[in-house]
Amino acid sequence: MTTASGGGRVEVRDLTWRPYGRRDPIIAGLDLDLAAGERLLLVGPSGSGKSTLLRALAGALEATASGDLSGSVTIDGAAPGARPGAVGLVLQEPGAGVVSATVGRDVAFGLENIGMPRADMPARVTSALAAVRLDLPQDTPTHALSGGEQQRLALAGALALEPSLLLLDEPTAMLDPVNAATVRDSVERVVTDRHLTTVVVEHKLGPWVAFADRILVLDADGRPVVDGDPATVLAEHGESLAAQGIWVPGFPAPQPRGIPDGVFTTSATGAGIVSLAARDVTVGRTVRRLDGSTRRSIAVADQSLEARAGQVHALVGPSGAGKSTLLLTLGGLLDHDSGTVAANHSLVPARHAATTNEADPRTWSTTEVAALVAWVPQWASSTIVAGTVLQEVMTTARALGQVEDEPLARARALLGVVGLAHLEQADPRHLSGGEQRRLAMVSAVVHQPEVLLADEATVGQDRLTWAAVMGIVEAMRDRGSAVVLTTHDEAVVERADRTTTITRPAQPPDPPAPRRPLVARCGPLALIGAAALAIPTGIIPAHWSVSLTVLAVQLALAVVGLSAPGRGPAPPRRVLGTALRMVPAAIGAVSVAWSTWLLGSRDLEVAATAGLRVLIIVLPSAVLIRYVDADALADHFGQLLRLPARLAVAIGAGLQRVHTFGDIWAEIARARRVRGIAARASSPRSVMAELWALTLGMLVRSLQAAAELAVAMDSRGFATARRRTWALRATWTRADLLLLVASCLPLAVALVASR
Amino acid sequence: MSTTNRSAGNPGTQPSAGTSTASSSNPARLRPGSVRASMPLTGWRTVDLLTMVFLGAAFGIAYWGWGLAYRVPSEALGSAFAPISALTYGPWLLAGVVGGLVVRRPGAAFGCEVIAALVSMLPGTAWGADTLYSGIIEGLGAELVFAIFGYRAFGLVVAMLSGALSGFLESIWELYRFGYLSTWQGSWWVVYAACFVVSGVVLAGVLGWLLTRALARAGALNAFPPGQELRESRAV
Repeated sequence: MTTASGGGRVEVRDLTWRPYGRRDPIIAGLDLDLAAGERLLLVGPSGSGKSTLLRALAGALEATASGDLSGSVTIDGAAPGARPGAVGLVLQEPGAGVVSATVGRDVAFGLENIGMPRADMPARVTSALAAVRLDLPQDTPTHALSGGEQQRLALAGALALEPSLLLLDEPTAMLDPVNAATVRDSVERVVTDRHLTTVVVEHKLGPWVAFADRILVLDADGRPVVDGDPATVLAEHGESLAAQGIWVPGFPAPQPRGIPDGVFTTSATGAGIVSLAARDVTVGRTVRRLDGSTRRSIAVADQSLEARAGQVHALVGPSGAGKSTLLLTLGGLLDHDSGTVAANHSLVPARHAATTNEADPRTWSTTEVAALVAWVPQWASSTIVAGTVLQEVMTTARALGQVEDEPLARARALLGVVGLAHLEQADPRHLSGGEQRRLAMVSAVVHQPEVLLADEATVGQDRLTWAAVMGIVEAMRDRGSAVVLTTHDEAVVERADRTTTITRPAQPPDPPAPRRPLVARCGPLALIGAAALAIPTGIIPAHWSVSLTVLAVQLALAVVGLSAPGRGPAPPRRVLGTALRMVPAAIGAVSVAWSTWLLGSRDLEVAATAGLRVLIIVLPSAVLIRYVDADALADHFGQLLRLPARLAVAIGAGLQRVHTFGDIWAEIARARRVRGIAARASSPRSVMAELWALTLGMLVRSLQAAAELAVAMDSRGFATARRRTWALRATWTRADLLLLVASCLPLAVALVASR
Repeated sequence: MSTTNRSAGNPGTQPSAGTSTASSSNPARLRPGSVRASMPLTGWRTVDLLTMVFLGAAFGIAYWGWGLAYRVPSEALGSAFAPISALTYGPWLLAGVVGGLVVRRPGAAFGCEVIAALVSMLPGTAWGADTLYSGIIEGLGAELVFAIFGYRAFGLVVAMLSGALSGFLESIWELYRFGYLSTWQGSWWVVYAACFVVSGVVLAGVLGWLLTRALARAGALNAFPPGQELRESRAV
């Protein structure tokens, strides 16, 4: 392993960056020098441009935004992109930069981009994974990794390209303490071993002070104001840094912001009463992938949780323990498999009093749920539903028909307390992450719900946002609402009245790998080609008897193709999955047959032929297309079809994530329900509004994901990967040929029988 | 990076390295729908490729959903007069229009529509591989209009024309493909094509234009000309 010792000297000269839409630059005339091997901790208040500077060092500013850029950045005298991978970048959100379906292939991505011969890749991949101590089989699916493992995978992906400069953008902000420590240790080890120049951006300085040998402080306008060794900087400026919201080691947690008396009115629910309770709930989680396969796991097993009026309840436990799931279940926002969720009878809406499941909020209307429960999700931007900050915080109060004056006064008072008063008319989607978090808290409480559920409300936030969030939490408690928080934050746990710790439930043992159907051994091009052959096959037969014969041949071939010889359990959902995929076709066939009968001389035979034609065309797709694999599709598009390599890879990376769209959709729908504005079946207008909001929300989130992924891919040399190599060779196999030949059989039958 | 100041560049003419969208720092000169993608137009940035794919994939899922839901309005119209059921087909042309309006590079409209068609096939549609053929034809129609305007104009009218041609080409294909040429009389063909075009203009052109504007306002298109147009027009 060669190391980049001696390399990694960074020079920034007169760097200025003004994104379009801002009058003033975020970075204005910045000069910065880093010696080879220097470790810089970059700090500053929210909005000071730390992440922007990091992207400038990566040469990635214009990858996702447009604006005016001047000045220069050089690494060892060359532009950051001159040698692909010279600058390694790890982003804040775990998984944001994942390109491939498996761990090994993901690490190899950068090597493919620099055109490394295939034979040289395995050694580099192995050594990069070893360096970050990610000792998993290389075919481990990337979506099965924990947040900490995903961050170490990102680090390994960067290391494989032997960077001389490593950039870490709040790499541990979204992680629990245990995972954060593993990531930090990995960083320290590889940076020491390879003598890398390193720049770390973090709000929480504690874990990084010992690692860094220099701290640079930016002020709110992005100007460097303090620059020196960590001990001196913290001794001289610690207090002012803490006042700006930075978590400086040795300073106590901030005091929650005081909310003036009279902002909230006291709840009628007596203190200590159980407002909402989940008893012995078990929640299974089924991940359904596009190919029809499912993975079932247990998110919560036999847990109970109570929300008591006038108390703050902290729900703690390691990542993956099911905290968020339990919180949603308690709020009646997620279905459970067993157990009960019930609101206190005094809080049950009158119209439900006579029904059997009266106390389970899952059965209530959107406004009834909103009146009882508020929920602040971890991803604050997904609850945004309105066009201005003021409309946003008034949304639920208005949906509930509360008299305008009182909530409006409360909204204005709270916006003032959390420092958003001057943004009343701003578009909430343009606020910073910390501002959106504070906004989400205010939006959740203006209508004074009896139960407040907040998911990781303080994670990744600076001290100022922390104080604002906790101020609202405690004011809600003091008015008599029940508050439940999931958290990893010691300072939050210390202030809670009660704490429940949960652990990851025991999982059912992984079933042994099922046998693979014969068609699953075919490549994506053969699968798509065989499906396409069904079209002439369907068009040719002119009589229903021929159509039936062709369909029978197709069915026989389907049985052969889906059979899975060998040992092991049978592959799941072969028949059911295929049948489900045929449902739209069956409806279509009936509809086509009916309209043909209606229009075409009321001839039953003609109608039957038309209907059968639909089935013949669709059946092969229903059997085959689910076995198209995203990674393989990219490989085959790039190598066999000779599509431009970058296009092929982008298609693979995008298809990889299609299954996440459903989760995004569900989260936005949930947020709308708990805000009291979900669609009502009685109002077509509200249904249209909901469809528009969900579609737009899903598009926005997927475009944001695309932009983040673009930055991550470019930092691994993708922008200049005109002559790529491929870690896996795509070949046209005998199985592929056999599939195409077999698919010609129904076509031949159709031709012969029609003569 | 070795950047030089190119803030005063004329849109589309400065020799940028293909890493930035075209720039004009003078807001007065920004007419909506006039900012081109960075030069060279074929110099796809990573974010261009990924955005085309992600948009296409998201629309693909929506296409699949519409494939289940459209039957209600479509059968209702079709039972009155068969060819006017084409009025409900416009949503399937959205990906091409929006892909073109957002990315503004040659091939973006076509690619976005084809990917949407491909993704909608995965969960199973009523048309099987026909979906892919239609996607290719619809994508060509949408792309042609952007190409005719030289990838310089991306306003409401161009969006409507794009939806119109996309719908027209697909209607011709379907008349042939579903045998209507032999089972229907000529006047029905005309009504079918006209309804498809009208649907394309409204449900793909106008709706796609609105959707692009909404995405820009949501801050999701900051890396693209529509986001730039919006933000420079209200610089703070």
